Amino acid sequence: MKTKNSRREFIRNLGISGAAANLLLPLPSLGWEPLGQKKQRIIFVFSPNGVIPKHFWPEEEGENFQLKRILEPLAPFKDQLLTLRGIDNRIKGDGDGHMRGIGCLLTGVELFPGDVQGGSDTPAGWSMGISIDQHLKNKLQANANTRTRFGSLEFGVLVPDRADTWTRWSYAGPNQPVAPISDPYQMFNKLYGNVQNRMLLASVLDDLSADFKKVENMVSSEDRQLLQRHVDLVRSVELELKSELEKTQQTANAKNTAEDADHAVPELPPNVQVQNDNMPVISRMQTDLLVNSLMSDFTRVASMQITNSVGNPRMRWLDIDEGHHTISHEPDSNEEAYEQLVKINTWYSEQVAYMAQKLKDTPEPGGDGNMLDHTTIIWTNELGKGNSHTRNSIPFVMVGGGLGYKTGRSLNFGGQPHNRLLLSIAEAMGAPEKTFGNPDYCGDGPLTGLL
Amino acid sequence: MAAFPSPKTRLRSIYIPFGFLLWWLHATLPAATALQVDSSQKAVADSKTEASDGRPDLDLGARIYQKSCQSCHGETGQGSEEHYDRPLVGDLSVGNLTKLISQTMPENDADACVGEEAAAVAAYIHASFYGEAAQLRNRPPRVAMSRLTAEQLRQSIADLYGHFTKPPSTSDQRGVKAGYYNGTSRKSEARRIDRIDPVIDFDFGEKSPGGDIDPKNYLIEWEGSLKVDRSGRYEIVLRSSCSCIMEFGSDKRELVNNHVQSEGRDEFRRSMHLTAGRAYPFEIRFLQRKRKTKQPPARISLSWIPPGSVEEVIPTQNLIPEKLSDTFPLQAKLPPDDRSYGYDRGTSVNRQWDDSTTATAIEFAEVAIAELYPKYRQRYRNEADENRGILKKFLAELLATAFRGQLDDETRNVYIDQQIAVAEDDGEAIRRVLLLALKSPRFLYPTLDMNHNRSQRSANRLALILFDSLPSETWLVNAAANNNLHKDAQLTNAARRMVTDYRTEAKTIAFLYDWLGLGDMEEIVKDQELYPGFDDKTVDDLQKSMTQFLQDLLKSETSDFRELLQADWRYTTERLENYYGSPWQKETPAQEPSGPSDQMNNDVQSNLSRSVRNREVHAGVLTHPLIMSNLSYHRTTSPIHRGVFLTRRTLGRVLRPPDASFTPISPDLHPELTTRERVQLQTGEVNCQSCHQQINSLGFAFEQYDATGRFRLKEKSRSIDASGSYTQRDGQEVKFTGARELADYLARSEDCHRAFVESAFEYFVKQPIAAYGNEAADEITATFQKSGYNIRELLVTIAVTASRQPPEDAAPEK
Repeated sequence: MKTKNSRREFIRNLGISGAAANLLLPLPSLGWEPLGQKKQRIIFVFSPNGVIPKHFWPEEEGENFQLKRILEPLAPFKDQLLTLRGIDNRIKGDGDGHMRGIGCLLTGVELFPGDVQGGSDTPAGWSMGISIDQHLKNKLQANANTRTRFGSLEFGVLVPDRADTWTRWSYAGPNQPVAPISDPYQMFNKLYGNVQNRMLLASVLDDLSADFKKVENMVSSEDRQLLQRHVDLVRSVELELKSELEKTQQTANAKNTAEDADHAVPELPPNVQVQNDNMPVISRMQTDLLVNSLMSDFTRVASMQITNSVGNPRMRWLDIDEGHHTISHEPDSNEEAYEQLVKINTWYSEQVAYMAQKLKDTPEPGGDGNMLDHTTIIWTNELGKGNSHTRNSIPFVMVGGGLGYKTGRSLNFGGQPHNRLLLSIAEAMGAPEKTFGNPDYCGDGPLTGLL
Repeated sequence: MAAFPSPKTRLRSIYIPFGFLLWWLHATLPAATALQVDSSQKAVADSKTEASDGRPDLDLGARIYQKSCQSCHGETGQGSEEHYDRPLVGDLSVGNLTKLISQTMPENDADACVGEEAAAVAAYIHASFYGEAAQLRNRPPRVAMSRLTAEQLRQSIADLYGHFTKPPSTSDQRGVKAGYYNGTSRKSEARRIDRIDPVIDFDFGEKSPGGDIDPKNYLIEWEGSLKVDRSGRYEIVLRSSCSCIMEFGSDKRELVNNHVQSEGRDEFRRSMHLTAGRAYPFEIRFLQRKRKTKQPPARISLSWIPPGSVEEVIPTQNLIPEKLSDTFPLQAKLPPDDRSYGYDRGTSVNRQWDDSTTATAIEFAEVAIAELYPKYRQRYRNEADENRGILKKFLAELLATAFRGQLDDETRNVYIDQQIAVAEDDGEAIRRVLLLALKSPRFLYPTLDMNHNRSQRSANRLALILFDSLPSETWLVNAAANNNLHKDAQLTNAARRMVTDYRTEAKTIAFLYDWLGLGDMEEIVKDQELYPGFDDKTVDDLQKSMTQFLQDLLKSETSDFRELLQADWRYTTERLENYYGSPWQKETPAQEPSGPSDQMNNDVQSNLSRSVRNREVHAGVLTHPLIMSNLSYHRTTSPIHRGVFLTRRTLGRVLRPPDASFTPISPDLHPELTTRERVQLQTGEVNCQSCHQQINSLGFAFEQYDATGRFRLKEKSRSIDASGSYTQRDGQEVKFTGARELADYLARSEDCHRAFVESAFEYFVKQPIAAYGNEAADEITATFQKSGYNIRELLVTIAVTASRQPPEDAAPEK
């Protein structure tokens, strides 16, 4: 994919001056701040199998709107909410609806020919392009002001342990799917493994030195010299670790601000197996880790993929024994299924609300307000509606102030390709592009009316 | 280069690329140890020759010492009870010592020994017993404790993992087991072809892979084990135009997941450190899926790039057609070990190494959490798990293996109970316990085991010597626990059982490579104008030819050392035959590879087979082109390198360093001279001849092998003079002409047998042989000769000698 560096370049390519562009084009503004001027974060959240539109989309447009049942958990954040109806995933080509639903969602481009056959349509392989989260990561990592330890983090909740088109939504490039990490302990190791291992090491060295003393008696005086050198080494490592930990502790005590979170290591509940019935606790654990890593500025781009396209979790904690995907195929006339789907989607909504609340409860490190003010959660889905498999009006719900949009509104775009939304996101993050994904769906540029 | 190179540089000098200062070809060997008597005498002798340079005269010093000093200080400065009872050792310099002697000695007449005489006495006692270097030389060799070397740590970790899987096994079969299915499900009724494929390298295109299998819809399943003969970093390259999945090491470890075939994604490279003497089970599932759209032509190949080598399809000899036990390759980077004695020794304890042990512990903890513990829980799923009992039991078993013996209550309490009491999460507990345990001296110092019974200690040494590892197989663990390894016969039986293992095989091959001077081989590159066609692929084939020969020899019934020196055939390939000519022809016409040959892409040029016999050209392994080209320059041979190699390694003789470093005379300066004449010209001086007489007359015997090891009868149109000679330790002179006569001599040479025994002992045991008694070398050599020079039996003898433990005081033998 060809990328352009700046908005200026884009306008120059159009052959008009910047001033004229302001007058002629319905572009939201040229007032976007360049990359890195302020701290912005973005989180993509995925839930599967479409929604029940009637209980999802607000009926009114604009600032005065009522939340429907599924979005009710987001009521505490209503003034930081944007619902974006009428945005369609128009990508055609190989792959069934679910595959293109997830595989083209963040990439806006077709899938390669391949051999994975879904329930209908043609088989397909991986996406032909990079996804927006990875694209933003590359942009942010290329700039010293916005560079972070990881650049992006990909969380999963019960994503099955197999790599196929249905289980991947993030792509580092054509044919390069990025696997989400679904085991919170594995994610914990990735985030804090080094610190944790150093702490662990510090905590066992005392026992180790003591045992050296015991074994010293087993050997000759000549051999003891070697052990002596070794135990001296152990002691020097111990001292080094101790002073390192003390320093960390002092810094934390002295500041007593959110910045001590730089070193805060969250605690996870022990012995949680990655399995269906633990989904609620895993979702919490992953969200806690995600918010923690944003707080510590490990990354400014994150995604959380709850299950997968055609995901089939059995939400027994909601008294629903059947899998989500299976239920999603039922006709609307099946009242029980219909009601269950509302409940299931409300549960996903609660997960987003938990994340938003956690961000809201955390003061912005080194800044004003709270973290939600500087973060936008974009909750989305592979389908508009489960039983029709439509990819029109894909659920896009934003919470938070990271992108600087005018929130507290319900919008209806009346059928725009979702590539335009991807362009808007890139622009709002300070990394505007002329096209993203398939250029044929980018014609009119970023969406208007978000500011 | 420093005036006197460090021991390490000296030892390695023979491998330094030829062409610049390389005349550091001299003694050292494990000289500081087994040959210490030699070398201490040599130190004295060396100084003596320098007396004329204005240095103190040691002979004079010795005479004065015997006359005036010995009555009080003793013959070797040990002192005498009635006059002076303290040993004459210290750290004064020769100069200070001279002054002291001038002023104070002898006690009754201090003026009797001054000036040059005092200097001579000072120099003599300093060199003979007073100085630190002399003290070190004179100390009796002992078995020194050391930590695990890098290789021992890798092997121990592998066996710690292996303790919880099936024990490692071996197989004589080669290739990959293949199941071809019609359709893409693994139903037994759809399995159409069962066979062993020699390698994985197929181009099925749009055709059926065989029989009535639907060319549009099939599954092939390959399973086998990858036999790794050398430790190092490997790159595995799987190329597949279709959907494929590859598991490696265990079915929990997916190396490649290309479940989704996606156009343009067809090459998968994975780099990792693999450990020698291990067979890594793997499985590949390859699916051509029927679809509505166009299918890609089906292709698949499994290649690798072994350490320091070139990419090739993984050859048949490294593939075993069954999945052997799960195996874990440690990836942590470990610092290299001290090799100043000619073998790896774990004597350096520093921060870098300490950090690497932490990384090792963490890495192993992760695999224990991910694979070993779940499997263990599964095995004991019907047992009550009160008070985290299963976790404790798991950790106790793990630690008993890591600590090479049962845990006593106190150790169990410190290492397990106390640790898991503060870690609520099981994974956290395992990480904590393993971090402590794998950094513990009880694990890192393999012979720190005086707290265990005699059999256990013997078992620990057997595993260390033969496997570079720890006892982990049930039979050995039980034999140790039941104290069934304290008699020589028991030890011998155990060693015989272990010596055929891949781990011992790999260690033996590594030893033989080392003994053949190929251990740290640099890249072999020759002048392409003089030697067209001798390229890196040729060198690769030569290595295969060598390795296969050594492996076969080790496995053979007689495992006869003399065959190593005298064999009149080689393993050859088409490529080698093309380069080296008719003596490298295959013995019998090549066999057709099994499987559909039109679909196999196998590079037949690299297939190994036995060559025809030729006593003159193939004079044992020493004249193998790999060695001959390694001991040569870019354009010409080097009789000096070959001679030094034969003197030091093959015959175990000591050479002192040359008087200065020399640049070899360029062949271009004397275009009319043969190599032999040129070498004689350069080393003709009297000073050089004291060593070069010996070196050259051995090296010249190999002159019929050119710089690439190709046999020749002429150089510069003149017949080659390959006559040579050797003066044995016992003073007798032997004469020979050409490599065959030399090879036959070596096979019956006492010097050669002894040198091989000592090298093998020190390589395997990593201790000086003299530390096991002054007679050890003689006795083992005699046993070796009596066994018909059986190398396997030699390893058994070595292992038993160095594993034997004194009876415990507490529990006298019944």
